[in-house]
Amino acid sequence: MSAAKQRLTQVSGHLAGSKSSITPTEGDSSSARARILQKNPDDIVVTACLRTAFTKGGKGGFKDTPAADLLVGAFKSLIERSNIDPALVEDIAVGSVLPPGGGATEFRAAALVAGFPVSTAVRSLNRQCSSGLQACVDIANAISSGMIEVGIGAGVESMSLQYGPGAVTEFSDLLEAHPESANCKVPMGVLSEKMAKDRNVSRKVQDAFAASSYQKALKAQEAGLFDEEIAPLAVKWEDPKTGETKEIIVAKDDGVRPGITAESLGKIKPAFAKDGSIHAGNASQISDGAAAVLLMKRSTAERLGQKILGKYVAASVAGVAPLLMGIGPWAAIPKVFEKTGINKDDVDIFEINEAFASQCVWCANELGLDQSKINPKGGAIAFGHPLGCTGARQVSTLLYELRRRGEKVGVTSMCIGTGMGMAAVWVAE
Amino acid sequence: MLEFRTQGYNGYAVKYSPFFDSRIAVAASSNFGLVGNGRLYVLGLTANGIQAEKWYDTQDSIYDTSWSEAHENQLVAGCGDGSVKLFDLSVPNYPVQSWQEHSREVYAVHWNMVTKDTLVSSSWDGTIKVWQPNRPNSILTLPTHSCTYSAAFSPHSPSIISSVSSDSHLRIFDLRTPASASNHLVHLIPIHGPAPVPGAPANSIRPAFPPSEALTHDWNKYRDTIVATAGVDQIIRTIDLRNPKAGPVAMLRGHDYAIRKITWSPHLSDVLLSASYDMTCRVWTDGSTMGHQNAHPGLASISGGRELGQMGRHTEFVTGVDWCLFGTEGWCASTAWDERLLVWDVRAVMGP
Repeated sequence: MSAAKQRLTQVSGHLAGSKSSITPTEGDSSSARARILQKNPDDIVVTACLRTAFTKGGKGGFKDTPAADLLVGAFKSLIERSNIDPALVEDIAVGSVLPPGGGATEFRAAALVAGFPVSTAVRSLNRQCSSGLQACVDIANAISSGMIEVGIGAGVESMSLQYGPGAVTEFSDLLEAHPESANCKVPMGVLSEKMAKDRNVSRKVQDAFAASSYQKALKAQEAGLFDEEIAPLAVKWEDPKTGETKEIIVAKDDGVRPGITAESLGKIKPAFAKDGSIHAGNASQISDGAAAVLLMKRSTAERLGQKILGKYVAASVAGVAPLLMGIGPWAAIPKVFEKTGINKDDVDIFEINEAFASQCVWCANELGLDQSKINPKGGAIAFGHPLGCTGARQVSTLLYELRRRGEKVGVTSMCIGTGMGMAAVWVAE
Repeated sequence: MLEFRTQGYNGYAVKYSPFFDSRIAVAASSNFGLVGNGRLYVLGLTANGIQAEKWYDTQDSIYDTSWSEAHENQLVAGCGDGSVKLFDLSVPNYPVQSWQEHSREVYAVHWNMVTKDTLVSSSWDGTIKVWQPNRPNSILTLPTHSCTYSAAFSPHSPSIISSVSSDSHLRIFDLRTPASASNHLVHLIPIHGPAPVPGAPANSIRPAFPPSEALTHDWNKYRDTIVATAGVDQIIRTIDLRNPKAGPVAMLRGHDYAIRKITWSPHLSDVLLSASYDMTCRVWTDGSTMGHQNAHPGLASISGGRELGQMGRHTEFVTGVDWCLFGTEGWCASTAWDERLLVWDVRAVMGP
């Protein structure tokens, strides 16, 4: 950007903050927004992002595909789409929750299969449901600090093959003896049920939210709005009826289905308590999937001739009481607003993970968010929540939708088991 | 009201000479300071109106100027190319010193009024630098890591420097503290109010005011702990450095757009002038001379601060305003993007 243009942006920022009738750069509503929309050489930008389809745990298209194989598929598509020289990628962070040993070994192996040279480093990380976002944020931070130049933030989960009681180590007596500590292993469904009761989120409200998630996702799928973000994957699949193994192409979220209304959801029995409100239809689906995001500085992207889809602005993490883990986004979103100076009106789309309809609705209401801005293409209730993958998936879902609508600023956020929340601000370009 | 046209140059700052009641410096830039030359005018108030006694052209825009407190012929300019230039009126055309250290636009320069031998500059590059006229390099660099629109020495102490920047913070540096990791920073005051406490009740998750870029500030000339700040959120705040956590002592609202410049009266401890993008200059009292205003510090509405009058003769963004130090209290000068310098009497625009 030329000096004159930078000066103009600066002065427009002064005027924009005044909520004036003079239209500043690109019609922005506040100076903070104008500031995050500025393009600077040291911005961390996304030059490619994608995900596999999400399929139902235990019966979907990926039920026989190990997590690492999904990751290979996502990596290969990412290299293909971005046309990046794999040798330039210095580090890959992969968020994943369930694999024993964190998946460190098989993810490194997956990167080699996908075509990355031995010089590309790989690590796995686990911050429960935000692992995918944490992976992207870690890579962005490593780039801005100068540790690496080009990196990939990714997430993957095979809940078909790895979901189960084995994922959590038994608690010691010491951990069990501490009340708040013992709360960390209360199952998500049970504590969300309790939270829904405590915070007065009625079954009716939850079902209405869940039904709208299904309806939005169906509409988006029919309109082909997921086509840009989904990379089709050819995998082996065993037909449970015939026992025959065949190769299939998975290119569509299979959790999305027609005909779901608040009334039809109202008939389902509660899953965690007889008088409860949470059931299979208003909680996130158990799914398999992978997602990946290619990150670098704007200056690097311009040098390499990479197409810039959007930029990463800032992220926040916040802790909350373990039993109230669902309120995580409520704690994390204001924190990231504080860091960036923007407010909820500056944001065009919120991608807030629908772990449970109850917690998502509560957070949105408490923060006073506009319902029409939340998850416009549906969410985890409709197409699934492969734990470690979701955070990286949201980046694709968000950026492609912002670009399609010609909008700019988005927030991704999710609650995190054991009581945390994360949020990040992204700008589409 | 007297007028001078800075033909072809949009005003950015104005300063009365501390030595002569008839001399005014105006920093101006062509093309609204976006691209092109700068011009520093030295104007004389004469019986025949305002005359340009001298001017200096610079390669890039000039955004601020400050008179030397020690030498009646010298003044300094902050330039768009990051340079700080010292001019001497006895030397035509060129500066006698040009310091090129800032990497971005220099938006403020200010002379030390106590020791009179140093000056401070602040820049969009996120640093404040301290200079001595006879040295070829800066003698100190203070980082703010944020586009710093305004920096000044305290008029009450030779070693205290203050700044406001686009991160919505007022910084106070005390050069008497040892040079350590904190770089002499002694106060970091969020102008918009304190950050929310994580886990606090829902109604307190956002402070009443979001952070917004601070563009200008000034030390009160009589009360050595009072600093006024203003900027993009259109509110002038006075902050008492003895207890910044209590929030602003007074909050003065009225401007419709961002405020570019505020300056306390050299004559009255409670009066200040402001210049704004809303094309007006306004005169305010912060209410501090109205009795028991400090009974509830922090509750700005009861401080009694209010607007006393406004001057709406400018036809573009007003960027600079300064009080005359001499003669009857109330004379001031303002400059704006309308290429005009106006010299006027505040008392003429004040209500009954």
